Amino acid sequence: MTAAAGTLGVEPEPVERETPAPRLDQLPEDEHRGTLGMALGIVTEALLFVCLFFSYYYIGHRHPHWPAHPPEIGLALILLAILLASSATLHAAEKQLKKGAHGAARLALVITILLGVAFAVIQVKEYRNHLLTLQPRTDAYGSLFYVITTFHALHVAAGLLMLIFVACLPTLKPAKSPKRPLHNASMYWHFVDVVWLFVVVLLYLVPWWEAHHG
Amino acid sequence: MAPIPTGSMTLQPRASTTSEATAEWSAPAIPDVAERLEHQWSSPPTLFGWLGTVDHKRIGLRYLATGLVFLLIGGVEAVLMRLQLIGPERRLLSPEAYNQVFTMHGLTMIMWYAAPILSGFGNYLVPLFIGSRDMAFPRLNAFSYWMYLLSGVLLYVSVAFGQAPDAGWFAYVPLSARRYGPGLNMDFYPAAMTALTISTTVGAINFIVTILKHRAPGMTLARMPLFLYSTGTTSALSVLALPALTAACVFLELDRRWGTHFFDSPAGGDPVLWQHLFWFFGHPWVYIVFLPATGMISMLLPVYARRPIVGHPVVAASTVLTGIVGMGVWVHHMFAVGMGQLAMSFFAAASMTISLFSTIQIFCWIATLWKGNPVRTTSLLFAVAFIATFVVGGLSGVVTAMIPFDWQVHDTYFVVAHLHYVLIGANVFPVFAALYHWWPKMTGRMLNEKLGKLSFWLMFIGFNAGFFPMHLSGLMGMRRRVYTYALSDGLGLLNLLTTLGSVLLAVGVLVSLANFWRSFRSGARAPANPWKADTLEWSIPSPPPSYGFLRIPAVRTLHPLWDDFDEYADPRNERLLLGYRQTLSTTAMDAEPEAISSGEEDTILPLVLAIAITATLGVLIARLLWIGVGGAAACVLLGAGWLWPSHHEHAPAAGPGEEVAA
Repeated sequence: MTAAAGTLGVEPEPVERETPAPRLDQLPEDEHRGTLGMALGIVTEALLFVCLFFSYYYIGHRHPHWPAHPPEIGLALILLAILLASSATLHAAEKQLKKGAHGAARLALVITILLGVAFAVIQVKEYRNHLLTLQPRTDAYGSLFYVITTFHALHVAAGLLMLIFVACLPTLKPAKSPKRPLHNASMYWHFVDVVWLFVVVLLYLVPWWEAHHG
Repeated sequence: MAPIPTGSMTLQPRASTTSEATAEWSAPAIPDVAERLEHQWSSPPTLFGWLGTVDHKRIGLRYLATGLVFLLIGGVEAVLMRLQLIGPERRLLSPEAYNQVFTMHGLTMIMWYAAPILSGFGNYLVPLFIGSRDMAFPRLNAFSYWMYLLSGVLLYVSVAFGQAPDAGWFAYVPLSARRYGPGLNMDFYPAAMTALTISTTVGAINFIVTILKHRAPGMTLARMPLFLYSTGTTSALSVLALPALTAACVFLELDRRWGTHFFDSPAGGDPVLWQHLFWFFGHPWVYIVFLPATGMISMLLPVYARRPIVGHPVVAASTVLTGIVGMGVWVHHMFAVGMGQLAMSFFAAASMTISLFSTIQIFCWIATLWKGNPVRTTSLLFAVAFIATFVVGGLSGVVTAMIPFDWQVHDTYFVVAHLHYVLIGANVFPVFAALYHWWPKMTGRMLNEKLGKLSFWLMFIGFNAGFFPMHLSGLMGMRRRVYTYALSDGLGLLNLLTTLGSVLLAVGVLVSLANFWRSFRSGARAPANPWKADTLEWSIPSPPPSYGFLRIPAVRTLHPLWDDFDEYADPRNERLLLGYRQTLSTTAMDAEPEAISSGEEDTILPLVLAIAITATLGVLIARLLWIGVGGAAACVLLGAGWLWPSHHEHAPAAGPGEEVAA
């Protein structure tokens, strides 16, 4: 409608619907608020990583060889495989919950958490190897590499804490409550996995490719 | 109050727009419904109730009051600077103190006053505009406020240490690097900014979800009041732009205290990275402190012009487009850095484009006044002053989008004049217009119009007398951020004028504060709709009851109180929603009723969590890493306690049928 209309009468719109609408006060409980909030939280976190990757390339484009020594890719790929597997098990947990199989869902959730812990343990090992040749204080590349991967590790920790929280809930999907804790936490976990995919491609694979084929 | 001469109105609002009207409804009378809602929604008058309330109206008022306190603190800092600059070569402030004062003035005004005070209006008004009883996440809303307050406290703790930030509000490296600032000054900066970022981000998410999910049935996107477009756009900008500030602050603190090399050229870093990250956040922030103010003008100006705004869809679209293009102009702050020709041309063109959308809005406001029958209230005076001032500020801005001119005036008082015309013109004046407009709704009392107009003229004359000469001193070559100037520069008279004008502006603000105080003490009682306005918040009593709306309204036009449709028609008694703190969820586009949102009970967890996060950031300034880790663990546990299901979620929902039968 246009605001500049000369009259402010009610629009010619059917006042009554064809079929009687359900009573407003008997509508179900809202279950989308939390999900929408989590989605927006993920957007802002994603922009944080965009800024980190931007910084990596902004500093990098001033250097003829960026990075001077590409990192080893073996462990990073193993870590990627672990995270992708954890996303699969988490997806299975959600499917089981939808079917009403609470026990199976909880089992899949616990497996996901174990995979996440395995990721953290292996990343510590990767850091230990890596720190022998490169440190955050070595140069700007070292600062960027460790801060980007540590930011990701902190997000893994946050995601793990969310999943552990959900696993500790008395019921994964309370009958009365509209909240979808498992769904919201798994959105975040999948996001953390996708970020690692970008980390592996941008920080490991591209430099490796350039060193061997560039 | 200045009574609006009803004869001059082109629109006759319905007589029954007050809350009493809702009781007239032909639906079965339910005597104790209001009491029951009041019992559910109000917080107990105890310390717990005061600290634990999640009522969006009380949180909104706290935001407004805190924002005004920061305006006063920033104002005192401004007066200190002006007294230092009143004549050449004065020694009131040492150069070091002057650095701290101008940095704290900028930070306080831009970060802790200008945006939060608009969040205050948003918190108070957004649910009332859309016929909702609260925000989508009430506890997160309380958390957002406490984080805001405590981040400001953290910033000002630095003053107690005598080590306030001193490298300017945009803290360029290497000036903000440890080499040039070994004290704690610039360590407080990233900590306090990060705390404020948390507050702003969760607040923005809350606004977006509220606007998308809680609009009254029938309030489609096209029928949304314009303030919701501006608040929605700025919230989206916050979500997208603030992470850049977080990244920049983390890099800065790591560089300063932990030996990394992000901004350190000899080790391969680049100081210009800071500028990119900062302005990728900083320029959208300019729109964050400006767009909601224009949204408020778009809502109150038509009320006093006694007609609907001209070009509602155009204004709405301009608002959103300003936000989108505003994400792509940050480099215009950096033309003096030295960049490729193509990049500079692109950002110059984008910066000129963005003025189109503001111009469209300005013409819509002028046309509204032109075609309407304006009533000269204090609020309208401030609104018109905003338009005039903003035009000047916009023009001095668009000329600096021309790169050769920008190089000429970069870092001079010309830019200082420009940004004050924009920020005072497009934030302070609209904020006062909005205070004079919505004060009766918020407090239930009228403001004195005579004092209001006196305050307006003092502010308007003082502002222009003070800040217009800055254009000239800037063109004459006066550098910003330098603590004094030489007698031979010939800048004494212009600076004397600027100081006198600024003092007049400050006196004008104080007159308004006195007016607020007087209204609290002895103001006339405000009716529900003193201005005969058109939007839903004026259909409920002043001040609104804790539950806001007795019945969830339905909306058929842009101007619910000016049309013939009765928003509160409820023959089936289904809009009372008597379950625990319930309000209605609707679909995002068409606002079709979709679900019921049960509210959250009062809790002090948001406050405790905000204290824990701020304290953790504080101990990181002192490099107490392990205490910081402990603080983070405490935050995690508090967050888990917050999210743990409460007993209310398992309580059976109130059966509406039986409740109503009572």
